[in-house]
Amino acid sequence: MFFHMVLERNLLLHPRHFGPHLREKLVMKLMKDVEGTCSGRHGFVVAITAVDGIGKGEIREGTGFVTFPVTYQCVVFRPFKGEVLEAVVTMVNKMGFFAEAGPVQIFVSSHLIPDDMEFQTGDMPNYTTSDGSVKIQSDSEVRLKIIGTRVDATEIFCIGTIKDDFLGVINDPDAAV
Amino acid sequence: MAMSMEPFNRLVRLVARAFYDDITMKGENQPKNGRSDNRGMAVVVLDALTRRQWVREEDLAKSLKLHSKQLRRTLRFFEEEKLVTRDHRKETAKGAKIFSAAVAAATADGKKNPREGEEKVKLHTHSYCCLDYAQIYDVVRYRIHKMKKKLKDELDSRNTIQEYICPACKRRYSALDVLQLISPTGEHFVCERCNNELIAESDKLASQEMGDGDENARRRHREYLKEMLQKIEIQLKPLIQQINRVKDLPVPEFGSLQAWEARANAAGLLNGDPGGNDPNRANQGQGYGGTPMPYLGETKVEVALSGAEVKGEEDNGADIGSPMKQLPPWMIQEGMNLTEEQRRGRGEVKSDTKIVSSSTSTYDIDEKKPNDVKEEDKSIQDEYIKAYYAAMVKRQEELKMHQKTQNELLGGDVSNVQETHPGRQVGMKAKREDDDVEWQEAAIPAVANGAPKVNDLNITASESENEDDDGVDWEEG
Repeated sequence: MFFHMVLERNLLLHPRHFGPHLREKLVMKLMKDVEGTCSGRHGFVVAITAVDGIGKGEIREGTGFVTFPVTYQCVVFRPFKGEVLEAVVTMVNKMGFFAEAGPVQIFVSSHLIPDDMEFQTGDMPNYTTSDGSVKIQSDSEVRLKIIGTRVDATEIFCIGTIKDDFLGVINDPDAAV
Repeated sequence: MAMSMEPFNRLVRLVARAFYDDITMKGENQPKNGRSDNRGMAVVVLDALTRRQWVREEDLAKSLKLHSKQLRRTLRFFEEEKLVTRDHRKETAKGAKIFSAAVAAATADGKKNPREGEEKVKLHTHSYCCLDYAQIYDVVRYRIHKMKKKLKDELDSRNTIQEYICPACKRRYSALDVLQLISPTGEHFVCERCNNELIAESDKLASQEMGDGDENARRRHREYLKEMLQKIEIQLKPLIQQINRVKDLPVPEFGSLQAWEARANAAGLLNGDPGGNDPNRANQGQGYGGTPMPYLGETKVEVALSGAEVKGEEDNGADIGSPMKQLPPWMIQEGMNLTEEQRRGRGEVKSDTKIVSSSTSTYDIDEKKPNDVKEEDKSIQDEYIKAYYAAMVKRQEELKMHQKTQNELLGGDVSNVQETHPGRQVGMKAKREDDDVEWQEAAIPAVANGAPKVNDLNITASESENEDDDGVDWEEG
């Protein structure tokens, strides 16, 4: 799920940036530092939408670096248990498959894949139904439901299932080519 | 509101017994003792609601002999369960009266209670409640679906996080750890400690590598779940059947409290119930005198249709204003006595005329003829009567002519008269059948007299005229 929220951060800026474009430099650094990171608390920071305020800088003794407290608005993405996501399959093996929904890695184990789909080995390992109409392989897009999340300080990992109504492949990579 | 309540009421009663049988409505801080055990009250309340439409909660409490607080708690619970819609409004005693009038109208309860409440000017918040049949239907289906789904999911170990185990060191991993465990080839997962390939735990079960008590517990749990699922199937079978039965029926809808009130009052006025808005009559106190059950007006009509048609006929004139339903053509059978309203929209009225002719041919007297058919017949009869008069006058003139000629011809030839007599008899008889006039007897003696005199004929003719007039008077009166 996506949230728009206000966060704070202390930015360390090198003295060489002190000059007429200090503010721009600060914002650039903020974007570079923050966007794409993951905090266990808020989830993945997708994009900064606005910088609300930059506080007074404080010179670090000895180094010359300055710390600026910055408050900014950003869009964060945090997966939840029970949430339904669309994801791209990245790897298929006999234990199940991995998929990515943006920055989030999701693992769907083989027993959470519908029983009528079987693992096929080969250079393009995949899960296929007996009549071959549905195939899950790398780069397939699937709709899955998250049934478990593991949130570390800097990482979020999810377990999903496609063994439920309206879940499963939503496009066929072969057909798209 | 042309719909049958009974299947839905049955559904509610089944739901009450299936799901709310052992719900206790208890405040958190109430002492727990035997007296406060009010299990089953929910069922009673729901049952009572199936017999009412909108009802003021105080009145319901009184008729159920419950404390109003207790009832309110129950109703709040049902509101949360989406079975009941409630409406609260501040109203004066007058506002309460309007509702009472509506209830009285819906009940069609004629008795008046003189115990008029003292005039209150203060505003009181009154709560009303009513079953929401459409929502109940959905809620119950959803509930059953959820129950089954939960058990099935657990049975299929859906939504459970897979565990992996290292066959060598017995170390267990959950599926949440697998990101770190992928082997360099990406083929499988490896144990962090001993680099052995991990097996999924369910695979272990399949390979019969069982033994510890944990496994047994798991199997027992599965069996328990299966049993539960079967029990659901069996025990909810009547409920599910009822749901299926109700599926295609139109849902009874009372609308909001205001709408219902307005409608019920209007219906009450239609019912020829002038006291509907009478302030004396209002507030007649649901709780004070008896417990009037606001049965639907429709129910009454259905009864009248199904059974006592003949009996209903007598009342027909009385409650002509009552909301009669127009019967669909397939419901109308031959021999049914239908009112004008019921028959409206039907193309043909042949069966009714048939009734008339059959009844009259058995010398039925007009008084016993069903009221409802007279509208149709009237025009026909009038026409016949006119034609009959015309024929009568003509005949009389002819006869007089005959008489004259006969008198002139020395009047002896009786046979001539006799010849004309049967001809007249036949013509009259044919008309008479449709006139429903009882003058067969009058005519027969004329025949029996044998060779009648001309005077006789005149007499019978005048008699029949008189009787005819009677008949017409009756028809119009």
